[in-house]
Amino acid sequence: MSAETDDLVLAPALVEGMARVVRRDGERVWLEPEPRSGCGTCASAGVCGAKGIGTTANRLEARRFPLHDHLGLTVGERVVVGVPENALLKATGALYAIPLAGTLGAGAVAQWAAGSDGVTLAAMIAGLALGMLAARLGAGRLGARGDLAPRLLRRAGPGETCERD
Amino acid sequence: MQEYVLLMVGAALVNNVILARFLGLCSFMGVTTRLDTAIGMGLATTFVITVSSMLNWGVQEYLLDPYGLGYLRTVVFILVIAAAVQFTEMTVRKVSPPLFQMLGIYLPLITTNCAVLGVALLVVEGRMDLFGATLFGFASSVGYSLVMVIFAGLRERLALAEVPRLFAGPPIGFIVASLLALAFMGFSGISAH
Repeated sequence: MSAETDDLVLAPALVEGMARVVRRDGERVWLEPEPRSGCGTCASAGVCGAKGIGTTANRLEARRFPLHDHLGLTVGERVVVGVPENALLKATGALYAIPLAGTLGAGAVAQWAAGSDGVTLAAMIAGLALGMLAARLGAGRLGARGDLAPRLLRRAGPGETCERD
Repeated sequence: MQEYVLLMVGAALVNNVILARFLGLCSFMGVTTRLDTAIGMGLATTFVITVSSMLNWGVQEYLLDPYGLGYLRTVVFILVIAAAVQFTEMTVRKVSPPLFQMLGIYLPLITTNCAVLGVALLVVEGRMDLFGATLFGFASSVGYSLVMVIFAGLRERLALAEVPRLFAGPPIGFIVASLLALAFMGFSGISAH
């Protein structure tokens, strides 16, 4: 097997997304992700000009992130960023599965032990809070290993969108 | 125990939210072009439906029923769902900013997902206890996620297939969805036994 084939087989699959350079800060650039939606208008959804709590522009501003620039990007350019597919699965697991398991587990134990809705409700809320705490620890571990850091892959081609269809 | 298992199988497979109750069809067609977005959306929806089923049960039991405010149910449930989504978004941002960067985009889409409100209303109709209501919400959303992932996998394969130009895109998607619904109808045989 050639080295090229080895790379193809061993390289982790990346989930790609589009982002736009909004600021340059020395060697780093700040990127604003383009929202992915079902309507295929990901490139235009964030530039409607509306600002304020809960608007698309506001949400996008909150999701800005810095990356080391090895491509010599300028403000306004669109780029493709990627995260490993297995990191995305681990992240969703840590974020949603652990708190859900805590909620349902605590609820099941309370229902079996007390059989009262009030006790079950209190136990479920406590389980949810504990699950969130465990999710925080799990996410911290993933983050410390660098699994969740997005990678700058390439400049986006003209008309390139985040939707595949 | 058996009652809860039957409740879960019924909610996830026999009366599937998407293919039997036809709820959440916009996200079903819109977010299933890629497997990774379908998984992200499915898990986020599972979390929100489960938590909002629990909260809506509490609102119904301790606020709407005792004060005779049943006519406000839909409005109040929408408010609770929107608050649950906002709370989840804020918590995720606080718990892990990198995870928020990766997954936060699905959360705002859930507020307008009719499957969330539909499940909350079904819980009220079913007159369940709290644990049953939460399990029903969880199982319904697991069924929703299952169908989303299956359909996304099928659409990823369809993207590589040679589809006649007339059927390419959404038309073949609807045909595949109808065949999937027919396949899921097979689960209704479980309830007959």
